[in-house]
Amino acid sequence: MDWLDFFQSITDGLLFGSIYALIGIGFTLIFGVMHKINLAYGAASIAGAYVSIAVAAYVPLPALVTFLIAAIASGAIALLIYLANFRFIPLASPLATLMATVGMLILIDEVVVHATDGMPQPYPALFADIYIEWGDFGLRGDLIFIFVLSLIAMVVLMFMLYRTRLGIATRAVAQQPVAAQLAGISLDRTNALTFVITGLLGGLAGAMIGASVGVLSPLLVVPITVKGLIVCVIGGLGSIPGAIVAGLAVGAFENFFLAFRGVTERDMYVMLLLFVFLVFRPGGIFSRSVARD
Amino acid sequence: MDFFFGLLQIIGVHTILGLSAYVVLQTGQVTLAQAGFFSIGAYVSAMLTVLAGWHIVPALLVAATAAGIVAGIVGFPALRIKGLMLVVATIAFGEFIRLFWFNFDYQIEKKGIVVGPQGGEGFKQIRFFPENGWSTLDVAIFIWVIVALIMLALWWTDRSRAGAVLRAVGEDELAAQSVGINLTAVKVGAFAAGGFIAGIGGAIYAHYTTHIEHLNFGVMLATFAIAYPILGGLRNVFGTLVAVIFIQGFLVEGLRFMGDWRNLLFGALIVLAMNVQPRGLIDERSVRLVRGLFTRN
Repeated sequence: MDWLDFFQSITDGLLFGSIYALIGIGFTLIFGVMHKINLAYGAASIAGAYVSIAVAAYVPLPALVTFLIAAIASGAIALLIYLANFRFIPLASPLATLMATVGMLILIDEVVVHATDGMPQPYPALFADIYIEWGDFGLRGDLIFIFVLSLIAMVVLMFMLYRTRLGIATRAVAQQPVAAQLAGISLDRTNALTFVITGLLGGLAGAMIGASVGVLSPLLVVPITVKGLIVCVIGGLGSIPGAIVAGLAVGAFENFFLAFRGVTERDMYVMLLLFVFLVFRPGGIFSRSVARD
Repeated sequence: MDFFFGLLQIIGVHTILGLSAYVVLQTGQVTLAQAGFFSIGAYVSAMLTVLAGWHIVPALLVAATAAGIVAGIVGFPALRIKGLMLVVATIAFGEFIRLFWFNFDYQIEKKGIVVGPQGGEGFKQIRFFPENGWSTLDVAIFIWVIVALIMLALWWTDRSRAGAVLRAVGEDELAAQSVGINLTAVKVGAFAAGGFIAGIGGAIYAHYTTHIEHLNFGVMLATFAIAYPILGGLRNVFGTLVAVIFIQGFLVEGLRFMGDWRNLLFGALIVLAMNVQPRGLIDERSVRLVRGLFTRN
C-alpha cells in the first residue's frame, strides 16, 4: 500500500463518516436530554428513507425533495417511538424502556420487511456522475454532496440548540430537569420535540446511506445502530462536537482497515478502537480529565 | 412427536441463555455480550467433540469454563463503566467474538473428511448425538436435566446470602459498598457466572443443530438473552422460564399460522408488555393477584 491509496481510503472514509456522525448525534442528544437509550433510532432512520422511496415511486420527485421527505417521515416515526416507549413507562424502570425500544426496533424492521418482501430497494444517488480527479487521487461527487449536506444539518442543529428558545429549553432539561420545570418548561413537550429533531437528522442520515450505498435494505439497521452507539460513546455521552469528530474518525478508521485488511476484519478493528477509548478515555474525546463514572 | 421434543430442546436452550443474562441483570448491569459467550461455548465444545473426539459432558464443562473465564476478563473493564456505556461496550465485545469466529479457520482431516470451523462457512458436521444414537427424546431429557440443575442452583442462590448481595449491588451500588460488599468481586463474579451458563447453553445448541456459523450469534440473539429475564421479571428464575415459553412456544411456534404477521405482532407485544408491566410479567402485583385467586378472604 502506498501513500496515495492511504490518503484515498482515509478521505473516502471521512466523507462517509459524516453519516455516522449524524446517527451518533441522534443517540447522544436523546441521552443528553433523557438519560435513556433509544435503540429503535437506527430503525427509524432507515424506515424514513423507505417512506421517501415509496412516495417517490408514485410521484416523480427531485432527489433533494426525496431526502426531505425521508427526514420528515423519520421525524414522525421518532415521535411515535417517544409516545410508545418513553411517555408512559416510569422513569424508575430503565430496563423496561430499553426493552421496549428493542421491541420497537423489531416492529419497525418487520413492517419494512413486510412492505418490501425483504427485497433491497434501489435508492437515487445525487451527483454520482461527478468525479473530481487529481492525477490518481479522486473524489466521488455523491460522497462530497453527502458530506456538505450533513455539515449543513449540523450547523442548523447547533444554531437551533444555542440560539432559539426551543434549544435553550432542551439544554435546560438536559442539565436540570427539575429546575427547568420550575422555570415553566414542559418536560413532556421538550422531550417529544427532541425526539422529532433527532428523527429529522436520522431520516436525513438514512437517505444518505441509501444514496451512497445505492440500495436500502432492512439488513442495514443493526450495523447502523451499533456504529451509531460506538460513535456516541467515543465522542463522549451527550457531547455533540464529540459525536461529530468521532463519527468522521470512525468512518476514516474503518475505511482504512477495509482497504488494508479486507471486509471480514474491518469491524473488529472498530470494536478494538472502542475498547481503547473505554479503557483510556471513558469520558470520550473531549472529556477534560479521566474521570471514573 | 419429534416436533414437540425439538420444541422442548429450543425452549431449554433459550431458558439457559435467558438465565445467563438473569444473573448479570440482578447486579444492575445490562449485558449484550451473552451471544458472544454462547458462541464460545458452541465453538469450543464442538471442536472438543468433533476434532478431539471427547464425550459431550466433559466438552460441555470445559467449553463453559472457557466462556466463564473470558466473561470474567470482560467483567474487569466493565467495572469502570455503567449504563449506556456498558450496553455499548458489551455489544461491541459480543460482535468482536462473532467476527473472530467469522475469521477463524482451523480444519483437520478425520476419517477421510475435512472437519472443523471454516470462517464464513461455519462449522459443519457436529454429529455427536446421531453418531452415538441419541434420539430426539434423549437429547430433550439431557437438556432439561441441565436446565433443572441450573434453575435449582440459581433459585437456591437467590435465597442465600449470595443472592442478597447480588440484589444489593443491583439496587444501590453506593449503599452496598458502604456495608462492606466488594463491588469488584460481585460484578466480575456475576459476569463470570453468566458467561459460564451461556457457555453451557452454547455447547448444547451447537450439538443439537449440528451446524453453527457466526451469523447465529448476532446482536439479535444477545437481545433475546436479556429480553427473557426483563419480560419475565427479575423477581425469580421462573419469570425467565415463563417468558421463554411465552416467546418461543406461543409467539414463535403457536402463531406460525399467521406467517409474516407473527413477527410484526412480536415487536408490538414487547412494547405493549413493557408499558403495562414495566417490572416484568411476574412482579409483586401479578404474584399478589394469583395468590388472591387461591386464598380465601
